[in-house]
Amino acid sequence: MTEVDPRQSPRAVLHDIRYSRFAGRLQPRRSAVGSFVASGIRRPLGLRRSAGAKVWPFLLLAAAYLPALAVVAVPLLVPAVQVQPTDLIGYPQLLTTNSVVLLAFVATSIPSMLTRDRRDRVLSLYFATALSWVEYVVGVVLAAVALLALIVLGPMLVLFVGSIATADAPGTWFADNAGDLPRIVGAAALVVLFHTSLGLAIGALTSKRVFAVGGYLAVVLVGPTLTGVVAAVTGADWPLSLDPASGPIRLATTFIGGGLGDPGVLAWVVWVVVVVGGFGVLAGRYAKGGDA
Amino acid sequence: MDGPEGLRAPVLECVDVGKRFGAVQALDGLTMSLGAGATGLLGANGAGKSTLLRTALGLTRPDRGSVRILGLDTVRERSEVRRRVGFMPEHPCLPNDMSAQDVCVSLARMRGLGRRDAVRRTSEVLFAVGLEEERRRPVGSYSLGMQQRTKLAQALVHGPDVVLLDEPTSGLDPAGREEMLAIVRRLSTELGIRVVASSHVLDDIERTCDEVVVLRSGTLAAQRPVLVGHDPSGPAELRVSGDVGSFAAALEPRVAPFGVSLAPTATGDIGLSSSPDAALDAVRDLAADLGVGVERLAPAARGLEDVVVDAMAGGTR
Repeated sequence: MTEVDPRQSPRAVLHDIRYSRFAGRLQPRRSAVGSFVASGIRRPLGLRRSAGAKVWPFLLLAAAYLPALAVVAVPLLVPAVQVQPTDLIGYPQLLTTNSVVLLAFVATSIPSMLTRDRRDRVLSLYFATALSWVEYVVGVVLAAVALLALIVLGPMLVLFVGSIATADAPGTWFADNAGDLPRIVGAAALVVLFHTSLGLAIGALTSKRVFAVGGYLAVVLVGPTLTGVVAAVTGADWPLSLDPASGPIRLATTFIGGGLGDPGVLAWVVWVVVVVGGFGVLAGRYAKGGDA
Repeated sequence: MDGPEGLRAPVLECVDVGKRFGAVQALDGLTMSLGAGATGLLGANGAGKSTLLRTALGLTRPDRGSVRILGLDTVRERSEVRRRVGFMPEHPCLPNDMSAQDVCVSLARMRGLGRRDAVRRTSEVLFAVGLEEERRRPVGSYSLGMQQRTKLAQALVHGPDVVLLDEPTSGLDPAGREEMLAIVRRLSTELGIRVVASSHVLDDIERTCDEVVVLRSGTLAAQRPVLVGHDPSGPAELRVSGDVGSFAAALEPRVAPFGVSLAPTATGDIGLSSSPDAALDAVRDLAADLGVGVERLAPAARGLEDVVVDAMAGGTR
């Protein structure tokens, strides 16, 4: 065994942390935008914030995952129960059950992703020295999509994976039901894109968080009432297609079976108008690249 | 980083820049070129200082003319401008619920630094502005001076070639102001970062900058170097009581041996071409001999304050 010369192997290293000019290599822009997206996901969840900031978002997350976890946990923990989780609650029912949680999460998190930056007046910093307006808008949209996927897609994936785990022959069950996976993702994408676009568009139209939250709630709470009244008066189902709260859910359930009835072409038109229009509002609001 | 061309290019170059907000003409045919290591922008409220900085950053698009920063067009080359420029806004611009550490790391990452570089650079800049001990506290709990230093730290974190500082001492108490001025001066003198700082306060500019630019109503009113002190034996102006002409006639042969010539000034005083100590002694002795009072004996060169006050009031450049 060789002796280590202590003079050649210092036990501690002194780092000079005084300011120096940065001469390192810059990452590609996608990495910078990825960092912005990660930051955009962390803030609404209260990560790297006080404990109080985590309470509401994690309460909603728990409420969203509870049904799926419960129906998976029962057959897993109680061997006597020989039932598949998807027999206890199907994907359409899970989506419908979580719709209230989703609306609450969107109202309190998505519009404020934009209003918060304007409240903090941080946009001039971003646009002057960090991000282009396109990178900003893309980053916010991706962060919002990821957050809502956590609420909408996550529980359905838990149900899917839990069903594999609780199946008598997991391999066979997966082979038989693998086709559900793209349908689940497609259904979740319909709901997530709709509410991302709606929430961000409303958030882009005002700098006050309270107005943004109120505006979104007004749309998703007053909308069903109005469309319900019109449907009752006319005796037709088409007004229900205009309902911003249940409309995207109705479309999504057509993907995953056991739907709430045929949503009709009008529901698709409304979906496209809201999604395209919402992103258009967002782009129009920030296209100047200023902070007004 | 700054290549040889970037170093040669003027920090900020404006050619016939105009910008109007409704009825207000914020910039009106502004043409100038800033080349000093540190330049101070002076002007009254509404003179166009902030609009000029925002235009230089690409936040505001000029109605006419062109603005180049480090030789980069601020409209067409914004991504490169973002990479090479740091900005410290005057207004509060930091998320109150984030720590200074998180703010700087986050902005450094958005500006393209890798995770490890961003953390290391954040430590360096927070150390440089004196916030290393408080870096994990939320910005909302900081004093105004600490918030200003955090804003400066974020402006430096990506290693810019030039930083634009909008009223860096705004709202600071005397101690905080002293600290901020010392840091700003270090940027150009020790760290090699070119600085453009706007301010209302001439003293701040004199202490931190090499050149001063005065804006008035969106136009260039004055541009001159900040001189530290003046030549004590340079031209001087003399005002005496009594008959100025006879005093000058008597003085001329006494100061001529020292190479000093006399000429009347525009205000009717006696102008001395230079003011060596011997010539000043001769003035004193002659005044005593003739029983004449010396009312004023001052350097003829106008001080920075005179130039700035004249320019802001509408005088010539």
